[in-house]
Amino acid sequence: MGRLLLVLRLAWRDVRRRPVEAILALLVMMVATTTLTIGLALNDVTDHPYEQTKAATAGPDAVAGFLSENGAPPASAAVDAITRLPGVTAHGPLMPMAHTTLTLGRRTATVQAWGREPAGGDPVDRPKLTSGGWVGAGSVVLERGFADALGARVGDHVTLGGRSFRIGGTAVSAALPSYPSSLCHLLCFAGIAPGPHAFDLGLVWLTPADLATVHERTTPAVVYLLDLRLADPAAAPAFAAAHGRETAPFLLAWQQIRDADAGVTRSAQTALQVGAVLLALLAVAGLTVLAGRRTLEQTRRVGLLKAVGGTPGLIALVLFVEHLALAVLAAAAALGVGRLLAGRFTAPGAGLLGSSGPATLTASTVAVVIVVALLVALTATLLPALRAARSATITALEAPARTPRRHGRVIALSAALPVPLLLGLRLIGRRPARAALATLSTAVTVTGLVTILTSAAVNARDTGGLHNLRTERLAQVTTTITVMLLVLAAANTVFLTWATVADARHASALARAFGATPDQVTGGLSAAQVVPAAPGALLGVPAGLIVYRAVTQTSFSAPSVAGLAAVLLGSVLAVVVCTAIPAGLGARRPVADVLSAESA
Amino acid sequence: MQDVVLALLAKEPSHGYQLRARLRDALGPLGEALNDGQIYVTLTRLEKAGLVTWEPAGEGEGRDRKVYALTPAGQHRVAEWLTEVAWPRPAPTDFHLKLTAAAAARLADPIALVDAQRRELLRLLRDAQRAALAEPPGSVAGLLLEGQVLRLEADLKWLDACEQAWTTRGDRK
Amino acid sequence: MTEAVLRTRKLRKEFGKGDGRVRAVDDVDLAVDAGETVAVMGPSGCGKSTLLHLLGGLQRPTGGEVELGGRRVETMSERALARLRRDRIGFVFQAFHLMPELTAVENVEVPALLAGRSPRAARTTALDLLDQVGLADRTGHLPSALSGGQRQRVAIARALSTEPLVVLADEPTGNLDSAATAEVLRLFDRLHRAGQTLVVVTHDARIAATADRILSMRDGALVDQTVLAGAA
Ligand SMILES: Nc1ncnc2c1ncn2[C@@H]1O[C@H](COP(=O)(O)OP(=O)(O)OP(=O)(O)O)[C@@H](O)[C@H]1O
Ligand SMILES: [Mg+2]
Repeated sequence: MGRLLLVLRLAWRDVRRRPVEAILALLVMMVATTTLTIGLALNDVTDHPYEQTKAATAGPDAVAGFLSENGAPPASAAVDAITRLPGVTAHGPLMPMAHTTLTLGRRTATVQAWGREPAGGDPVDRPKLTSGGWVGAGSVVLERGFADALGARVGDHVTLGGRSFRIGGTAVSAALPSYPSSLCHLLCFAGIAPGPHAFDLGLVWLTPADLATVHERTTPAVVYLLDLRLADPAAAPAFAAAHGRETAPFLLAWQQIRDADAGVTRSAQTALQVGAVLLALLAVAGLTVLAGRRTLEQTRRVGLLKAVGGTPGLIALVLFVEHLALAVLAAAAALGVGRLLAGRFTAPGAGLLGSSGPATLTASTVAVVIVVALLVALTATLLPALRAARSATITALEAPARTPRRHGRVIALSAALPVPLLLGLRLIGRRPARAALATLSTAVTVTGLVTILTSAAVNARDTGGLHNLRTERLAQVTTTITVMLLVLAAANTVFLTWATVADARHASALARAFGATPDQVTGGLSAAQVVPAAPGALLGVPAGLIVYRAVTQTSFSAPSVAGLAAVLLGSVLAVVVCTAIPAGLGARRPVADVLSAESA
Repeated sequence: MQDVVLALLAKEPSHGYQLRARLRDALGPLGEALNDGQIYVTLTRLEKAGLVTWEPAGEGEGRDRKVYALTPAGQHRVAEWLTEVAWPRPAPTDFHLKLTAAAAARLADPIALVDAQRRELLRLLRDAQRAALAEPPGSVAGLLLEGQVLRLEADLKWLDACEQAWTTRGDRK
Repeated sequence: MTEAVLRTRKLRKEFGKGDGRVRAVDDVDLAVDAGETVAVMGPSGCGKSTLLHLLGGLQRPTGGEVELGGRRVETMSERALARLRRDRIGFVFQAFHLMPELTAVENVEVPALLAGRSPRAARTTALDLLDQVGLADRTGHLPSALSGGQRQRVAIARALSTEPLVVLADEPTGNLDSAATAEVLRLFDRLHRAGQTLVVVTHDARIAATADRILSMRDGALVDQTVLAGAA
């Protein structure tokens, strides 16, 4: 009881003595955990819209496909072999599907053209019209997401495989993922697709007769699809695995379609999770600086607690409690903010019915976010705490300001340089570990920025002028991450400079006592940040490209050299700006104040 | 002693026992050693030197009947005494010479002498300090004790210096 | 003669290795009786502080034994040492070492709270101790708002807060002027008369003179002893 009171009192007083630092620490942890919250909250977001669509359109539990090189339907024996399989309770008609090109005005897109009877009323897969009417001779229906992206409306005329059609309506279906997701599966798999990256395939329904005229002009190959209803929809993947074959027939379970449909959200989610890792790294770096800045003070505190009889465990607790409390607070705030922001990323694609509702926070998401926040806090305080708890009591207690390391070479080398660089290099020599943190922090930031730049370049290539939901989502996500990265990076730079200013207070006061101007001292403090930041920025460029490659597992078009140069120069410039403020403030305190405060 | 008695008479003529009480007050515990006869011996000496006279007064008995007063010569002497700035024992010459002699003639180890002396001074210091702590705050006698404490402290510091000096000398030989 | 509260046998502490090795404490045999005040004096660097740190379990000896209240100290675990320090030893440092963020009374109650006393009991004891050291009107002040002498008195009150077997003080007046020294002196004298066992390392002859015994230390060894007790 008494011990608990003491621990809490020490933590609380410490926070009160340094409110700004506590708030900054809170902010840093919050930014990282918010991103993580959003990433996790998106995890199972699109399940529900897909399932609603499937129910509303009597979507298939499995789809069988038969490849036909010359356009002829498969033998009825082969079809019967599928429909008579145990577990199949109903099936639709055989439907042809071909691969062709659609043109609307000046826009061209690759589409899968799907032949459906104008009568409709099939037992499985009844696409739901969202506008206009169903297919007829010379009249086609576009999948709603695709129509939106294309900007097509009922009554417009499109060219399919060289023939002109009228758009009779738009509809949604659960038999294929909605645009811009797609399952090129059917055609890519058959080796007829235009290339390995035929994503963003549109979907067009038309009568089988019209389809025949279209595909004959483009390619003779057609896939015949057969929608199946299963007794146990949950077992569809097992069914598909058991009876599907390489060629005819291949089988697709509805869960695979649903997963492909989540693609839009998933790419956002991947980006957010990668972003969260980078942000967590930055947060650890920032907190380490914050904690390390006070090592001396903490070491004395530890010595004192030891001298009056604090056990090692209790001392560790005192050191941790403050940061742990901040971490829990940060996690709580992050969960709230993250939940709000996640909603912005989850409006369902136009291809699905229903809405996904607000992103929900599952217990596991909450747990993961809290654990990560605690880990960040722990990582940042672990080293100082261990060092302090292990050191001999008396060494800790009587610790003089930890004598900065002396680097003879740096000192000799810097003697020939202009005054600000001279001061800056000597400051780096005093605290090489901190300079390394500055390098790391800049490297992580630039890595993030380059990744974002690359994905922007790749997305620009993919849209082909179409209004693309996935690209939009990604743009939203990357903007969010960019803002957070920049906030954290700026905070880190300010921390680092602060720490350096505080550390170098005595030395710079002395330098000024012997005639260095405040500007030279400010310059020196800035140089101490910029010199290690520059190699970090350089390192971040290849790292960013590699991270993008590793995460997306796709080829990429490298972003423009101008863009990369802008990121590089911009980040170094930003470091200069972020540094100038605390450095300038630090370098202008009256010399005598500083020197006498030191001796107190 | 003579000067102090003269100075005490400068304010007003007094009986011998009054003088004794005033002296005791000023000296505090250090005045305990002052014996009763001493003040009368001093007064008799001063009278012989022509600095003090006396008149019989009241009904008291024997020497307590006398009221002492200053003569003009006595007053002159008091004025002179007040302006004097001589300071007793400005340097601990005696002990210093003792150390030098002991070392030169190899009669004794100077360090041992220093140690013995230090022990003695520490005892004196302890006594003076206890006496000082026992005095009520603001007492006149306490001030004198503090003077003694501070002097002893200075002497002890000097002994440390002696020890160091004689140690290094011994090393050099 | 009463039983020794604090005893060392052949206590030794070395720093460094090879040529740079320093014997800071060299075969020290020492016994401090209950209620006794012992002063340790000696030139700078002779090992006084090191000896005191060994006595208080703030450092571990290279060899020899330390016994406090009948229990061997040098073989204890870090946790046991911590408990020993908070229950049986009160430390007073030259540099005070108060927690800057805690008020006077909060500083004084730290050891009691560490020892698991109830907050209320700890507060009562702390206020009482501050009253005894003459700081009843300064209990709510932060150390930065106290004079050097007042800070040291707070530190002494803290050392007393768990009624330790022995108070160890390392140059308690080293940072104080003459008037503040007198305050501390008065306090130590009171403690002495109240029967508190006290070991004090000092350069200050006035502090040393309050002791029953003065030990002289040279190059890590105890070379001389001056007994002052009883001569009064
Ligand atoms: N941590 C340490 N590492 C190496 N040597 C040490 C260490 N601590 C003390 N010493 C050495 O041990 C010797 C004794 O030091 P100690 O601090 O005990 O002296 P002291 O008598 O307290 O001196 P002072 O009166 O100046 O405080 C010195 O020579 C010192 O250099
Ligand atoms: Mg010392």
